[in-house]
Amino acid sequence: MEEAARVSQRKRSAITFLVLLALTILEVAVSQIAGHHRAVVTALVGLAIVQGIVQIIYFMHLRWESRALRLYVLVPLAFPVIYALVLIADGIWRRLP
Amino acid sequence: MQAVAAHGHEPRAVVWPQDPQFATASAGKIAMWIFLVSDAFAFFGLLLAYGILRGETTAWHHPGEPDLSVVLGALLTAVLIASSVSMIFAYDAALRGDRRQTSIFLGLTASLGIAFLIGQYAEYFGILHPGLSKEGLVFGRSAYASTFYVITSFHALHVFTGVVYISITLLRNALGRATAGQIELLGLFWHFVDLIWIFVFTLLYLIPVG
Repeated sequence: MEEAARVSQRKRSAITFLVLLALTILEVAVSQIAGHHRAVVTALVGLAIVQGIVQIIYFMHLRWESRALRLYVLVPLAFPVIYALVLIADGIWRRLP
Repeated sequence: MQAVAAHGHEPRAVVWPQDPQFATASAGKIAMWIFLVSDAFAFFGLLLAYGILRGETTAWHHPGEPDLSVVLGALLTAVLIASSVSMIFAYDAALRGDRRQTSIFLGLTASLGIAFLIGQYAEYFGILHPGLSKEGLVFGRSAYASTFYVITSFHALHVFTGVVYISITLLRNALGRATAGQIELLGLFWHFVDLIWIFVFTLLYLIPVG
């Protein structure tokens, strides 16, 4: 039973590795698209966030931690995202005619 | 929460009792997560500063400044992702009590970390071709150059720290003094270093100049 769980974990790690590699290749491909600057930037940041989530869930095993520990980690990480959104909104507002 | 020795003769191997909030997470693991979240804030600060500087400027690249190599950046990303997998295999071997395999995978992870640092050195100063510093990307000459060197070198410092941390754990493992729990904490730090690089690579190397 324990051995089966370990084999499954190794398989999961290999799949996670391939997914992260594929997302990196996709990111590089998206970055080469000419024009559509905003769409490209949004897609790149989105892909990076997906990669980050995969990394935290599967490599750092946060999925298998208790709910309290998950909240301890994830709630503070939301704040820099809020700061970033406020700064983006500020930048857009200051450029309004 | 109190640790209980799993074997009377082995004080380092501890099993944490089920806690209503943190399940079996050890104090060390909770402390490591708190450290990683605070370290993430340092990187967030740097990346937000980079975003503000880049968003405010009309000409991010000054004349004569080279572009960053996307291919090299992607290779460095692949190296770090591969090192994360080898770290997971090291932890898996430690759980099985296989010290030899644990050492092999820890050694492989450290080697990939060193390969990353060599790649970063080659990018800065050049090994087979002139590096960015010789091609005109000089620290302090522009926001593009300064943010690039500050953010990537701060990350490289983390990789270097990780390699030292792995080497110490490798030595302790060879002496039979490293537990699976300690290798799990090391793994958390190493995966974090990989996680941060994913964002550094995207924001510094991939976002095109608009």
